[in-house]
Order: sequence, then C-alpha cells, then structure tokens
Amino acid sequence: MSNNGFEHNDDQPNAVLRRRVLGWLVGVINLAVLGGIVAPVLGFISSPANWRQRRKEWIPVLDESRLRPGETLSVNYQVPIQDGYTNAQRKYSVYLYRRLDGSVVAFDPSCPHLGCRVEFRERKQRYICPCHGGVFDADGNLVSGPPPTGLTKLPVRVDAGKIWIRRV
Amino acid sequence: MAHLIEKTVEREPTPSRSDGQPMEPVSPRQEAGWIGRLRDWIEERTGIFAFAKHHLDEPMPPGVGWWQTLGNLLLTLLIFQFITGFALAMFYAPTPDHAHESVRYIMEEVPLGAFIRGLHHWGSSFIILVVILHILRVFFWGSYKKPRELTWLVGVAIFQVMMAFAFTGYLLIWDQKAYWATVVGTRFASTVPVIGDWLMHFLRGGEEVGALTLTRFYAIHIMLLPVVLVLLTAAHLYLVRRLHIAGPVVPQKGKPQPFYPYQLFRDAVVVMVGVGALVTCALLFKPALYPVADPSGTNFTPRPEWYFLGLYELLKLMPPKLEILGTVVIPGLVALGMILLPWLDRSPSRHPARRMWVIEAGLIVIFLIGTLTLKGILSEHPMPPATSSAVSSTASLPQ
Repeated sequence: MSNNGFEHNDDQPNAVLRRRVLGWLVGVINLAVLGGIVAPVLGFISSPANWRQRRKEWIPVLDESRLRPGETLSVNYQVPIQDGYTNAQRKYSVYLYRRLDGSVVAFDPSCPHLGCRVEFRERKQRYICPCHGGVFDADGNLVSGPPPTGLTKLPVRVDAGKIWIRRV
Repeated sequence: MAHLIEKTVEREPTPSRSDGQPMEPVSPRQEAGWIGRLRDWIEERTGIFAFAKHHLDEPMPPGVGWWQTLGNLLLTLLIFQFITGFALAMFYAPTPDHAHESVRYIMEEVPLGAFIRGLHHWGSSFIILVVILHILRVFFWGSYKKPRELTWLVGVAIFQVMMAFAFTGYLLIWDQKAYWATVVGTRFASTVPVIGDWLMHFLRGGEEVGALTLTRFYAIHIMLLPVVLVLLTAAHLYLVRRLHIAGPVVPQKGKPQPFYPYQLFRDAVVVMVGVGALVTCALLFKPALYPVADPSGTNFTPRPEWYFLGLYELLKLMPPKLEILGTVVIPGLVALGMILLPWLDRSPSRHPARRMWVIEAGLIVIFLIGTLTLKGILSEHPMPPATSSAVSSTASLPQ
C-alpha cells in the first residue's frame, strides 16, 4: 500500500527486512524513552504512600482528676508531625471515658466506617456519626448504622496524675 | 481529513453537501486590498478558511434542534472554567497554612474575587447538570449506537474526568467541608480489597489528609485533568464531526440545513441563557467558605455537593462490613454499564420502543439515583448541631 503517493522500493534486496527492523527499533526506542520518564515519575509521586506520619509515643492529654466516673470528655491535643515539606503542630481530639469501675477508655473519634468525626451525645450516652448515621454506645460498641465495627480504642494508661494515650 | 469526513454512516446515510466536494480550496479573492491579500496568504498556508467553511456548512438532518445545543453549552462552560480557574490560580496558594486564607482574600479583598470564584464554583454545578442532560438525550435518542460507540465511550470518560475535577477542586478551599469531604472520599479507596490502604495513602500523599494531599490535588486539578479533558474533548468533537450528528430517532421529512447559521443560532441562544443563568447565580449567591480545616474540629456536619448526595445516601443504606458495595461495587457497576451500553444494547433500532429493556433499566437507574439525591437534599440537616457539654482541654507534646 502506498502512502502519500510514496512507493517503497521493495524490489531491492533486504528492503522489507530493513524497514521492519528499523520500525521495530523505533518502537523499542520510544518505549525506552517513555519508560525513562514514566518509571521515575511514578516512583517519585507514589513515594509518600509508604511514609508513616503518626507518632507512636505516649502523649499526656488530661489531668486524671478532671475525668469523673461515668463521664465522657472530648479532649483536644497537639502533636508535632512531619506534614510533607513542613513541620506542623497537628490538632487531634480523643474521647476519654471513665467507666464506673474507675478504668479509663480512649476512643479515636474517627468513625470506623469512612472516617467522619463522631459526636458524643451526653443525654443519650451515644456516639453518633453525622455523615452516614453510625451509632455507638458509651463503651464504643456499634449500636446501629453502616460502620463495620465499634469505635477504635486507643492504648491508654494513667500515670503521674495524667491520662496518656498512644495513637495507632 | 477530507476523506475521513466524507465517509458515510453505515445505516444512516446523512445528507450530502450540495457541492459534493468538501473542503475544496476557497478561491482567491478577486477584490484588491490588503485584507483580501492577507486572507489569501493565510489560506494558502493553512487552509483554515476552507476548514471553517466546511464545518460551518455541515448539513444538519431535519429534526435536529434545541436538544442538540447542549454540547455547545458544555464546551462554553468548560472554557469558562478554564478562564476562571486560571485567574483564581493567580491568587491562590496550595498550602495548609495559606490555602484557606488565600480563598478568603480572593472572596473579600480582591476586586471581583467573589464573582470570579462564584463563576468557577457554580460553573462546576452547571457543567454536571448539563452533562447529565446531554447524556440523557444521547441515551433516549439511542445516539450511542453503531457507528458512534466510541463517541459515547469518550463522552463517558469526559463525565468521569468532570467528577474527578469536582472531587479534586473541592479540597483546595481547605475549609471544614473540603477537609472532611476529602477524608471520606479518599477513605473510599481503603475499602478496595488488598491494595486499599496503599491506594488511600497514595491519594493522600501520606497517612492523613495534609500538605501533600493539597499539592497533589492541586497538581491533578490544574495540570493533569485539564490536559486529559482537552484531549478527550478534541477526540469527542472529531468523532462527532466525522460521523455526523445522529438526527432524530425517526427520520423526518424536509431538507437538511447547514450548521451555520441555523443550528449555530440555536446554540448561541442556549449558550446565552446558560451563561446568563450562571452569571446571575455568581452575582446573587456567594459560594460558602466554612471555618479552616481542623482535624479535631467538632460541630461540623460534613455534606458533599448535590451531585455526590446520591452516593452519600447510598452509603447510609449499606449493611455493616459491606460498605465496599456502596463505595466501589455499585458505582463501579453503574460506570461499567455506561461504558458497555453500546454493546449491551443489541437492538439495531434507535427507537426507544424497540429497545425497551435498555430504556427500562436506564429509567430504574435514573429513578434510584434521583430518589437518593432527593433524599439527600431533603435531609439537609439530619440532626441538630452537637450540644455535647464535654469539656475540652488542650495538651501538647513537646517537639
């Protein structure tokens, strides 16, 4: 088939083979050039996917004396994190609940469904997710709604008059 | 290109041009004068006037009318988004420390800032609305059938790109709504089996929504998606012109009319009304700017824009442990159904009565999405603001 009126000199020895090999080489070179840019760029932009920002040390969040038995408190705290190119003081919150037996439980306020922040309704003693309607009891157990599990419990300890938690 | 354009559609012969010789060179002007000479000089080198004349003379089958103006309106709205987006980018800073402040600055201090942001904000809603109308028109007219399967497919890709635009644009405001919508939206990815967590971290640029999420979404919103959209739109327009407009389901009597000025006049009227409505919206309703993004923030009920409300309501209905149905499976099936539509619908006829099951299935999907969206709109405030009397205290960890 001729293109643009051009006739290939296919009658010359090896012309067809030469054209095929050159065409193949053009393809290989183009693939190599494409790979040469795509591979490092993919590696570059996907690198943060493997970074871990959360700090695992114990964080003092509240004086122990401020949490009465049967009470749930929302406590804000700040943690220094490496947020991309910047060092930031990141604000978080945690729900602290002191059971009647005196033990303390800490709940991650992010809903195990899709991550909205749950709200504690003191009168009903229920956590409610404002996004998709998940409901949890004061002990963090799932009552109703779409979440797959109860609230995530964070490691907690009481020491030196403070309540300490650890982010997981 | 001429030989491509002249190919006729297999089952739908389109009216041929009276001259029968498309894109013939425009004859040199006889009149003297430097404008005529300049025109000829350009024409000789580019063929641009012949190209324009060829497309402006494209014959429209009888019955083509107001419903075929939506594509042009869409193109105009897209150009508006490009222009307003470019202008906004000159005043915007994509960092957690400055993003919200720069949007407030645009809204309150830059002359016409609230109006330009209003055009961009409401423009996205207008585009989604017009895209939906455009898709519905093509669906009910059966215009996706052979030989226009690829035109439909490229159109579906454009629709997906527009949703990606909406999602990535959302975060840039860096207010509470932006932040929580992105927390939930990226969390969708984590419900994918096996690679879910990696995928979520890849989207976020780390474990949490933060500085790198913002730069990532910004880069995607202003670099990647516009390039993809331009390429897809060019392909869509090329296919529309190559295969000609589909015309009514039942061929109508009458003579074909050239695109210019008859159809282009209808396009201009619809564009004028659409753009007028957009400008009115931008003038009357300032886009909201909620308090700055706060991962510890309380008293904020996150709700997506209206076009994601159907999905939002669907997620409420999913049973525990099966959220993947709402986040991936059902939206994926709807997308797959759209992609495969030209091949699922085996009926050779474009007439709705002769492809009832497709029409019925489409109506059911439209009804369900519409109902869920309406439910979302009506449950504007699903619960009163939190009145928890819990005392907050602030503790910080030394660096």
